[in-house]
Amino acid sequence: MPGWLIDFLWVVVKVTLVIAFVGVNFIFMVWLERKLSAKMQARIGPNRVGPHGSLQLIADALKLFSKEDIKPAMADPKVWALAPVVMFAPALLVFYVLPVGPNAVIGTDLNVGLLYLAAVSSFTLVGIFMAGWGSNSKYSLLGAMRAGAALMAYEIPLVLSILTVAMLAGTLSVQGIVQAQVDRGYYFVFPGIVAFIIYFICVMAELGRGPFDLVEAEHELVMGYQTEYSGMRWGIMLMAEYTNQFTAAAIAAMLFLGGWDGPFLPGWLWLVIKAYALVMVMMWVRWTLPRVRIDQLLDLSWKFLLPVSLLNLVVVAIFLV
Amino acid sequence: MGVLNDVARAAKSIVKGHMVTLREIFKPPMTIRYPDEKPEQPKGSRGMPVLKVNAETGELNCTACGLCARSCPPGCIEVIEETDANGKRMRRPLAYNLDMGKCMVCNLCIEACPFDALEMAANFEISVYDPDNLVFNKDQLATIWKNYDAVRIAGGEKL
Repeated sequence: MPGWLIDFLWVVVKVTLVIAFVGVNFIFMVWLERKLSAKMQARIGPNRVGPHGSLQLIADALKLFSKEDIKPAMADPKVWALAPVVMFAPALLVFYVLPVGPNAVIGTDLNVGLLYLAAVSSFTLVGIFMAGWGSNSKYSLLGAMRAGAALMAYEIPLVLSILTVAMLAGTLSVQGIVQAQVDRGYYFVFPGIVAFIIYFICVMAELGRGPFDLVEAEHELVMGYQTEYSGMRWGIMLMAEYTNQFTAAAIAAMLFLGGWDGPFLPGWLWLVIKAYALVMVMMWVRWTLPRVRIDQLLDLSWKFLLPVSLLNLVVVAIFLV
Repeated sequence: MGVLNDVARAAKSIVKGHMVTLREIFKPPMTIRYPDEKPEQPKGSRGMPVLKVNAETGELNCTACGLCARSCPPGCIEVIEETDANGKRMRRPLAYNLDMGKCMVCNLCIEACPFDALEMAANFEISVYDPDNLVFNKDQLATIWKNYDAVRIAGGEKL
């Protein structure tokens, strides 16, 4: 077999595995979220389809597939139809630089991996804006505008907190950061606890989750930018949301909690375990705190997180020098 | 320093809230999966009036005096007394029909009964497809009294 064919097949295998994982992760996370929220509210949650309701999402997906594809008459057809795809693509792109073990990265170990992650994860906003403008609906547009405002406000403290990790590790490569934590024998969550908390808050705000889900605040905006979507188009948006949540947790696990490092179990499993632990914390926060107002959301970022993350960066820099 | 105070207060209350939800996770759910799990009915809960069977003779306590029918506000009870060939009254019901479609579960028949022949059963699952099936005869009423455990929960005490 020629070399290029082997490379090509290898890529096909990897992409298939990633997409399969995204699908399974979607089913698992929706089930986890519904079960966890039910537990917190003294309910049982889904319990009919499959053991403990674990296959509920498959039944839901079948329902979504059988739904009529309703398209708003005044919508921009191309932009409107492309938006869910554009939202889903960056969720997959993040997997490219995820290190799953020593000397094992899903795609390539980019030497600007952190920059790549920050750029790609913000790219979802393009899809959100396409959905907002393309739907030609006031709720969609307002939701997308809020998403834009939130993302701009939270991207800066987010990148500053990631920068702290880059300074601690002395590299921008994601694999290099994990390797640095393994070599030094401590995880960056201990010197970078402030950065970790800031990263966590920012990532929840960017994902539009938890107390920051006013991008789709139903009492004001119906469903935000998702208002005009139904059936499987909406399903893809939901899938992008949950995949983004997983990748955000996985990035946090790699930058602060040592990624694939751990005893006994294989590296990829450690990464998944750490990521799901963080996902569960996100769900915990979401089902505990009430939603904030839009001005409170921006206040928190500009007046509190930004100064604190700058200060944190300076303190870490002084310690390193 | 006001800002720092605010931050400390916010952090404290956020942690407090999270502890509440964390505690709830480990508590059993309130949900009763009704058709699979029966709810625990309180003592004295009223489902439907049923006829008591005498434990010694195996016959109904009812003497067909008709006081229950007379006390019933919606008039859902129909009692016909049995008579022998000579027309002598036998002091037991030939027929005792209770129309649960009319019954408002007021407990007045039970209070009116001087012979302790009626009792309130907790059996509330009497839904049927045909309203005619809501009319219970004396054998059905006695069977419900015998078989339905909830009778023992609700019965015995006149409330």
